[in-house]
This record gives sequence, structure tokens and C-alpha cells, in this order.
Amino acid sequence: MLESRELTKKFGAKTAVDQVTMKLEAGHIYAMLGPNGSGKTTWMKMAAGLIIPTSGEVLFEDKPVSLESRAHVAYMSTEPYFYAWMTIRDAGKYYADFFEDFSMEKYSEMLKSMELEEELKIRTLSSGMVAKMKIALTLSRDAKVYMLDEPFNGIDLLARDEIRKAILTAAVPEKLLLLSSHLVEEMEAIADRAVFIRNGRLVEVRDLEEMRETDGVSMADRYREIFGHAEVNG
Amino acid sequence: MLRLMKYELRKTLNVKLVLAAVTLIAEAAFLIGYFTRNETLYSLTALLLFMIASTGISVIGLWSLIVLHRDMNTRQGYMLFMTPNSCYRILGAKILECGLSILLAGAFFFLLGFLDVTLVMRLYNENIWQFLAEMLQTLNERLTITPANVLAVLFWLLSSWLCSVITAFLADILATSLLYGKKWNWLVAFALFILLNIGINWVILRVPATMSVVAQFAIQGVIGLAFSALMGYISATVMEKYLSV
Repeated sequence: MLESRELTKKFGAKTAVDQVTMKLEAGHIYAMLGPNGSGKTTWMKMAAGLIIPTSGEVLFEDKPVSLESRAHVAYMSTEPYFYAWMTIRDAGKYYADFFEDFSMEKYSEMLKSMELEEELKIRTLSSGMVAKMKIALTLSRDAKVYMLDEPFNGIDLLARDEIRKAILTAAVPEKLLLLSSHLVEEMEAIADRAVFIRNGRLVEVRDLEEMRETDGVSMADRYREIFGHAEVNG
Repeated sequence: MLRLMKYELRKTLNVKLVLAAVTLIAEAAFLIGYFTRNETLYSLTALLLFMIASTGISVIGLWSLIVLHRDMNTRQGYMLFMTPNSCYRILGAKILECGLSILLAGAFFFLLGFLDVTLVMRLYNENIWQFLAEMLQTLNERLTITPANVLAVLFWLLSSWLCSVITAFLADILATSLLYGKKWNWLVAFALFILLNIGINWVILRVPATMSVVAQFAIQGVIGLAFSALMGYISATVMEKYLSV
């Protein structure tokens, strides 16, 4: 469903993503793992069409990412990106205006279950509240691909449980979910496949069940093997 | 396109509201001065209103440029560029919103100025049309008040403003797209803006001043619009191919 071929992005002298070739299939939840600066966010932004690759390409359903793919790919950035004047409801209306697959009803339901009031100004929200709102906004789309960049960043345990629940609800066989996070143990409870990226290069894409059976290691163990003494948060 | 324009208007609304509030306060002070026959007050506020009108339109153009710059250089750009809208539509909406705002603000200030000058003329028992005709002739001896001349000059003014704003858009887009992440890209944008303006003005000034006022201003206006369309197209193409946010 989502594929990158020889994908490279350079920022001046720094290579953020280096010749990454991989294929991600529908019906799976992928955990994209790697230390800070390993290229996870840059890869996702290229797949979302926000960053132009230096070379290589990203394909969605065998076609290069384009305007059409943006209508089917829901990307959630880790950084807040809303306009300063927006309330939680305004953000929903904005999505409803531009994404045909966005459901305002679903958004309202998710906000209610997350105890977020629609009339609150986004700029007044805590980081945990913004994280929940971003999840509600993104998952209220009926997209084919969901890419969530650090969905658990800076939020407490209870909010994490709600987000995890929302993600698992969105996971259906015809959809692809790609999540990046530093919280490896957290991701192990959600994902069924893992993408390991180091210094912009793809190390491997693994099926977690198969990895546990054949190698006898968990995702966290494999993370430690690959990244050695690199920082493992959470 | 209308939805994009709606959000462009919302992004620039605050500065327009501030401009409207300042104008209203100055106009209220002018009217108080007029009706109390306080010459100092209405003279000063008339001068203030003239300054607000002449800078207000520049502020609208400048603010549209600031919004475009933010959309390309801050995270808020995701809101725009992750939607299924091409850069042609995105930039087209920005240009149309800005152009319409300039047109409406220009018409508003023109009407307000006309009404205020009419009031002052009545105070001195003078004819507004005669006053305007004399004033224009002091500026340019070929300018006389006829509907065709007024329309040609207004068309030229609008075209010039729009052309300036789009030149600034193009300069900023070129600098941001091709010098992504460089802190000094605003300096390059400024230099490009100056150079592009010099080039465009050089072409516009080739229109012979010997032809009629209507023909001269109309041709210059058309050249300005042609440059606007060309630069708008180049800008959107550069964004589509090279812009990373």
C-alpha cells in the first residue's frame, strides 16, 4: 500500500533519510523505531507529501504520492500545527472542509470520550490535551493510511491508554497504521510489525510474531540489539 | 477554492479588524471636529485618515505576505499543505483573497475620503469636483476628471498593487523553496523583490507617455496583470516542485 524506493532526503550536508526502500502493507500496525534523528519523521513527511525527496520516491497504491494520495493518507505531526485562533471545534470544521473522509460526528464522539471540550482554544491546551485532540482529529478521518508521529509524546499514562484504545479501534484489515515512538514497550502492545531505522538507513522490517518465534526476542530486545547503547526512553 | 479563501481571510482578519478600528476612531474624531467646527481637530484627523488609507492597503498586502511566509516556514503550513489542494489552488486563493481585500479596502478608503472632502468643501462653500480637478492637474497636467480616466487610473492602481504583492510572493517562494532551512533566506527574498521590481518597472515604463491617459494607464495595468499572472504561475510551479514545509 505504501512503499518507498531508494528514498533519500538531504538537508545541506546532513542526510536525514538514506536510500530507504521498503513496502508497508494494509492490515498491519507498524511501529517505526529508531533513536532521535534517525529519519523517522522525515520519512513520514515525505510519505505525507510535505517534504520533497532529494531522490527516490514514495508510492501509495503503486502511484507516486500526490494530491490524490493526500486525500487517503492521514498524517499526524508530532509538533502542534494548528492556527493560533482555532478552537478544538474549528480544527474539526477545518478538517471537514478539506477532507471528504472526515466525520464530524466521530470527532465529537472521540472528544467526548477523551473529555475534551470543543469550545476550548487549542493554544490554551496542555500538551496531553493537544496530543489527544490530534489523535481524535486524525482518526476521525476514514483514511486508508494513518501515520502518527510520536502519538504518546509528553502525555500521562491515562491519556496513553485512551490513545492506545483509539488507535486499536482504527486498525481494520484494509487500513495501514504507521506509528513512530521512542516508547518501545508501549509500541510492543500495539504494533504487529516493526520498522527499524538507524542514521537514516533502514535496518529491517520485521513481523513481531515471527520474530518472537524464530529469534525468541521481543521488539524491545531487538531494539537494544540494533541500537546498542543508544537512548531508549520509556 | 472558496474554502481556501475563507481560511485565508480568517488568517488575515485580525489585522483588517485593527485597521478598521483605527479608521473608525479617526473618522469619529474627524466628524466630531467637523460638527464642532474645530478646524485643528478635523484637519489633523483628515491627515491621519489619509495616512491610514495610504498605509492601510500596503499593510493588507504585507500581512498576506507574512501569512504566506509563516505557511511556508512554520508548522502551521501542515494545515495547508497536507490537504488535497494543489499549490496552484493554494496560491491562487491567497492571491485572490489579497487582491479582493486590496480592491475592497481601496474602494472603502476612496469613498470615505470622497465623503470627508465633500463635507469639508461644503464648509467652505466650494465644489468638490472643481477642487479634485484642480488637485489632479497640479499632479499631472494631462489628468482631467472623466469617467474613463478615473477607471483607467483605478485599474492601473489595482494592477500595480497586485503586481507588487505577487512579486513579493514570488521572491519569498523562490527563496524559501530553493534555500530551505537557511536563516538568511529572507535577505535573498528581499534582494529578489527589489530586482524583480526594477525589471517589471523597466518594462512598464516602456509604454509611451505620448498616448492618451486612458490608453497609457490601461496598457500599464494590463502589463501589470500579465506579470502578475506569469509570476503567480511560476510561484505555484516552484512551490509544487520544490517546497518542503
